[in-house]
Amino acid sequence: MFNKVLVANRGEIALRVIRACRELGVQSVAVYSDADVQAPHVRDADEAVRIGEAPSSESYLQGERIVEAAHATGAEAIHPGYGFLSERAWFGRLVREAGLAFIGPPPEAIEAMGNKTAARKLASAAGIPIVPGTTEGVRDAEEARGIAARFGYPVLLKASAGGGGKGMRVVRDASDVEPSLEMARREARNAFGDEAGYVEKYIERPRHVEIQVLADNHGTVLSLGERECSIQRRHQKMIEEAPCIAVSPELRHRMGETAVAATRAAGYRNAGTCEFLLDRDGAFYFLEMNTRLQVEHPVSELVTGIDIVQWQIRIAAGEALPFPAEMTPRGWAIECRITSEDPANGFLPSTGRIEYLHVPSGPGVRWDGGIEAGSVVGLHYDPMLAKLIVWGANREQAIARMHRALDELVILGVATSREFHLRVMENEEYRRGEVGIQWLEQRLPHLLAIGAPEERRMAAAVAAALLAERDRDTRRGANPCSPSPARGDAWLAAARREGVR
Amino acid sequence: MKYLVDVDGERIEVSIGADGARVGGRVVHAHLADVEGTPIHLLRIDDTVHRVAVRRGTERGRYDLWMGGYSFRVEALDERSRVIRELTQAKNGPKGPAPVTAPMPGLVVRVHVIEGQQVVAGQGVVVIEAMKMENELRAAADGTVKRVVAVQGIAVEKGAVLVEFERVSGPDGG
Repeated sequence: MFNKVLVANRGEIALRVIRACRELGVQSVAVYSDADVQAPHVRDADEAVRIGEAPSSESYLQGERIVEAAHATGAEAIHPGYGFLSERAWFGRLVREAGLAFIGPPPEAIEAMGNKTAARKLASAAGIPIVPGTTEGVRDAEEARGIAARFGYPVLLKASAGGGGKGMRVVRDASDVEPSLEMARREARNAFGDEAGYVEKYIERPRHVEIQVLADNHGTVLSLGERECSIQRRHQKMIEEAPCIAVSPELRHRMGETAVAATRAAGYRNAGTCEFLLDRDGAFYFLEMNTRLQVEHPVSELVTGIDIVQWQIRIAAGEALPFPAEMTPRGWAIECRITSEDPANGFLPSTGRIEYLHVPSGPGVRWDGGIEAGSVVGLHYDPMLAKLIVWGANREQAIARMHRALDELVILGVATSREFHLRVMENEEYRRGEVGIQWLEQRLPHLLAIGAPEERRMAAAVAAALLAERDRDTRRGANPCSPSPARGDAWLAAARREGVR
Repeated sequence: MKYLVDVDGERIEVSIGADGARVGGRVVHAHLADVEGTPIHLLRIDDTVHRVAVRRGTERGRYDLWMGGYSFRVEALDERSRVIRELTQAKNGPKGPAPVTAPMPGLVVRVHVIEGQQVVAGQGVVVIEAMKMENELRAAADGTVKRVVAVQGIAVEKGAVLVEFERVSGPDGG
């Protein structure tokens, strides 16, 4: 095992890795920018090295300075966390060439999986299902019909450079191919000046389901089961859970085997994630592999009992995975990403100082955070403040627990996504698990428009009136410290007596 | 004292007196206690308890409240203060639509309007980049662009005025 590990990240994930180091008896080194001099990850590490100015391009993305910091402190390995340099093959090489261990996959595996097209080819060659699609433009409607028949309807007709829904048509039977192809071409010609048409299998209301894998240096590759990550806004995951309501033990086994095959094909080591689209008939298609620790790894940790971050460090130190090949998830875990974004204001990022923070606790609640009261939330970094994760015996209990925990959470000083998460937990479709990757975008206007029930608004009005009454007394020159009522108000007198009883 | 409290666009009358609070024609015992050293208060309405997180606004009577899974931006004023505030607001009103200001520090990446241009409510006028995200700022009401302060490529502070408007001139010169 290493004696000392440098953590090349900030915020909640730096703290997460530092905690894993502590538990393993490994010394930790934090790095920080000028904006993070007093950040929690700096204080909780054993040593800390300044690496530059606030913008990440001047600090957390400065690979050479980070390697220098490792040398200066005598760290033997570097954990990159997620984001920043975690998926940069050159950084992995830099670390390796400096004689240090990179706690993550080899740079060759990052390269093999880093490019979506290359990853698709690699997966396809390994016999892994990918969303069927043509790579060359179709000549005419007849050829398109032939391809569509092969893929099975519905199919998507799209323009090469297409995007944003322009030049795309969903076609449900053969008679629609010709007019739709014409229309797609016309739109594409107008929007992109290119009218080549392509055919792709159209997956209806798919879920985003991913498989967590762990691979050691002794030939063992394990699937830790799936995570459901369909609740996304603009391709950003907001809520994740494990397991997935749509995955049976048999499907879990097949998806796990597929992910393990992809991992082996890429020569991958350490923790990684294979992302799939899962359609409503249980067919799944490989999308890409994330060659790093994922934000949502805690939900897998809670249902498998495996500390993924500790095992990342152990694998990098040469240990062999001792777990059985087949794992059954225990209970249900949900994660909500608490971000400094204001749902009531189009999810605009909110900045400021955290004036007050009350973190939920009690049975089955885990808080992976990077903020404290007094922390300044700026604009230099990601808006994720913390992850609230719960575990329950089943999905119903996990949802109730998440709702309870969100209710306990208080963050004052910046606007947060807390209430958005509460509204999702209260939503009937979400509670039934009837979600797909488009669900949130479709339901968001409805979710954000939900107002408080009548009796809550009444209570808020009473609270406001009592506050105004109190502020009025203070303004009139009453000594706010005085235990006796400032004026002859019997109710206030009674209230104060009760307050100090 | 009688308060007119605006909650989520609804005006609720609350009287605070020796007999507790009168709200919605009902008299209840109401009591607010501090949790020392925190912005948390304990509100009791009869036997019901509510945990209330309070943030005082910049103007008298304005509070941000968090309670029971919802947040409220409320304004509680006695009748006289309410009349005064409404008069001052009415006086300030006809100046024209509110300017677009930066909701956070960021970089101006695009300016969509020029001086003299007519805009409609909800129309995007400036895009600023913050936290690696582009955010489109929109006009709050119909109007004419009076002045464009924002310059592409320039960093702005929170609250900086980016675009000013004047009301679309009507027959009375509005």
